[in-house]
Amino acid sequence: MNTAWRFAWRNIWRNKRRTVLTMCAIGFGAALIVFSVGLQLGQYDLMISGSTRIFQGLIQVQKRGYLNDARMRNTIPDAQSLAKKIRHETAINDIAVRANGFALVSSKERTYGVAVIGVETQYESYVSIIPGLIKSGRYLSADNANEMVIGRSLAKNLKVKLGDELTILGSGRDGSIAAAVLPVTGVFESGSRELDRSMIQIPIKTFQETFSMQTHAHAIVLYHQNSALLEPIKSQLDGILMPMNENLVAVGWDQIQPGIKESIELDYSSGWFIYIILIAIITFSIMNTFLMSVLERTREFGIMLALGFKPLNIGKLVMMEALILTVFALTIGTLIGISVNYYFLINGLTFEGMEEIAAQYNMPATITPQISLESSLLGPVTILVFTLVAALYPALKIRKLKPVEAMRHL
Amino acid sequence: MRHLVIQIFSFLLLFHLAVSSQAETAAQLIRQAMDNYRGLSSYSEASMTIHRPDWERVMSMKVWTQGLDKSLVRITAPIKDKNGGSLLIGDNMWSYAPKINRVIKIPSSMSNQSWMGSDFSNNDIARADEIINNYTHTLLETKKINNRLTYIIQSVPNEDAPVVWGKEIITINDHYVLLKHEFYDQDNILIKTLTASEIKKVGDKYISLKQRMQKTDHANEWTEVVTTVVKFNVTFNKNTFTLSNLRNPR
Repeated sequence: MNTAWRFAWRNIWRNKRRTVLTMCAIGFGAALIVFSVGLQLGQYDLMISGSTRIFQGLIQVQKRGYLNDARMRNTIPDAQSLAKKIRHETAINDIAVRANGFALVSSKERTYGVAVIGVETQYESYVSIIPGLIKSGRYLSADNANEMVIGRSLAKNLKVKLGDELTILGSGRDGSIAAAVLPVTGVFESGSRELDRSMIQIPIKTFQETFSMQTHAHAIVLYHQNSALLEPIKSQLDGILMPMNENLVAVGWDQIQPGIKESIELDYSSGWFIYIILIAIITFSIMNTFLMSVLERTREFGIMLALGFKPLNIGKLVMMEALILTVFALTIGTLIGISVNYYFLINGLTFEGMEEIAAQYNMPATITPQISLESSLLGPVTILVFTLVAALYPALKIRKLKPVEAMRHL
Repeated sequence: MRHLVIQIFSFLLLFHLAVSSQAETAAQLIRQAMDNYRGLSSYSEASMTIHRPDWERVMSMKVWTQGLDKSLVRITAPIKDKNGGSLLIGDNMWSYAPKINRVIKIPSSMSNQSWMGSDFSNNDIARADEIINNYTHTLLETKKINNRLTYIIQSVPNEDAPVVWGKEIITINDHYVLLKHEFYDQDNILIKTLTASEIKKVGDKYISLKQRMQKTDHANEWTEVVTTVVKFNVTFNKNTFTLSNLRNPR
């Protein structure tokens, strides 16, 4: 066996230039795909963390059905003590309770319909970047404080400044009139147009009192920067919730914001469409090389057959040559791809016009590629499979050789 | 030949006259139903039940109306919301919350939001005159229901009408009582139905004392308004339909 490998290795280098050129094609393809997939996955990571970090969180505990029918009455009872329990049992601290309502908010001059969010003032900054994006004034101070923070565009539309009072008017959980007058203590600018234009935040206890919620709330938001931990954390949460209250469920970011998930999937599959075309082109060029190397050695194979080699063994030899060449080239190409990814991971990659596109998804203007098993190996392994299938054709051709005719071949 | 042209022409003319007079009839019926329902002015007391699968809420209220474009609603129970209310003048709507002692103007962009958490939208409460001015009416059918002549009218909002509906089907009897009002969306799907019942003679006219708004896709969710007291052609203090009256009930 060992001899056969050595044999194959020597055969590869009999035509150095051709081998090197083929290896370059494979290696370049591999490097390109490793880099592109790494870049794509890195971009998706940014999209996910951008959309979860800003406000929605990675996972939310909600009453079953709230996701599709966000009604005031679909609540979690004793939400704050449940959140405390979850913090304790999961050892994850980035958890905060929220209550969501809709109300008219009006200044002296104008009125707008907005989302009113009741937040746990102490924990909100762990699950959302909004408390850190206060552009003027300060964030909410205590769970029962009479305060509110509003988005910058909304402040502009309502023509209010810090300290001005705004009136909130909506419907409470029991259908009663929910009304409050609260001063603006802070103005945030999240970069998300929708949030900046149509959201106000007030302390959770103030919300519960205004909207007749008692100790109920609508969501327990959990943030974790590693979106890959979505499923394990979700099942851990389900394990805590199930025995307590079967009406509560853990909902992942992909369900809360299905649009982001769909656009990622669409982009990834259209990316792979291009990669498969690229791989097919590489494959055909390799197939050509192998076919050439078999055809030009017809005479040699004829002699080998005459010496008593079985056609199967010669076929194996050709496959071994293909395998060595491809693996060798793929290893180098993949290493180059990973190095490029690593370079941009450290230095960041940005290009013109990026900022505007990035703003739509609340992403930073630089992309950092992802370096993972998927980004580094999925492309090369696909190339390997394709090239080995391509090498099968010349290898099988050998079975048709007749020793005497082959030896006469020039 | 010439004879034929004249014949066709006169036929078209007649047809046109028939159509326009028919449209006028339908519009007149709607107008009379609205006039009948609201009168020149009215005062009424009513209770509103909002029903949901897991809860129910009952509110009591007093309602003052004048013409088709002015009304004032004041809540009398439950205690929590007592003295809260809404004032409507033409296209404008204001709400008052006693707890914070503020009047808020409801922007027209909110006209499809629920009124007081019920299945009625702000628009349903506010715009009685809109259906007269901004719609094209066609009489679809005339038939006898419970021995009364009943008209079924299709009302399609004009292009520029500020409404979300694709069409509305209104059933009116010959006492000008609105029996049924169906709201269809732009895709011709029935969204909600207002049904009137308990028709009584009050003074010299007939009105329905019970009205129920039912959303089509939630069988177990409805809002019912039952009128307990009603008086027509009442004279009001001229302050009645003002913001200060909304804020400080006397």
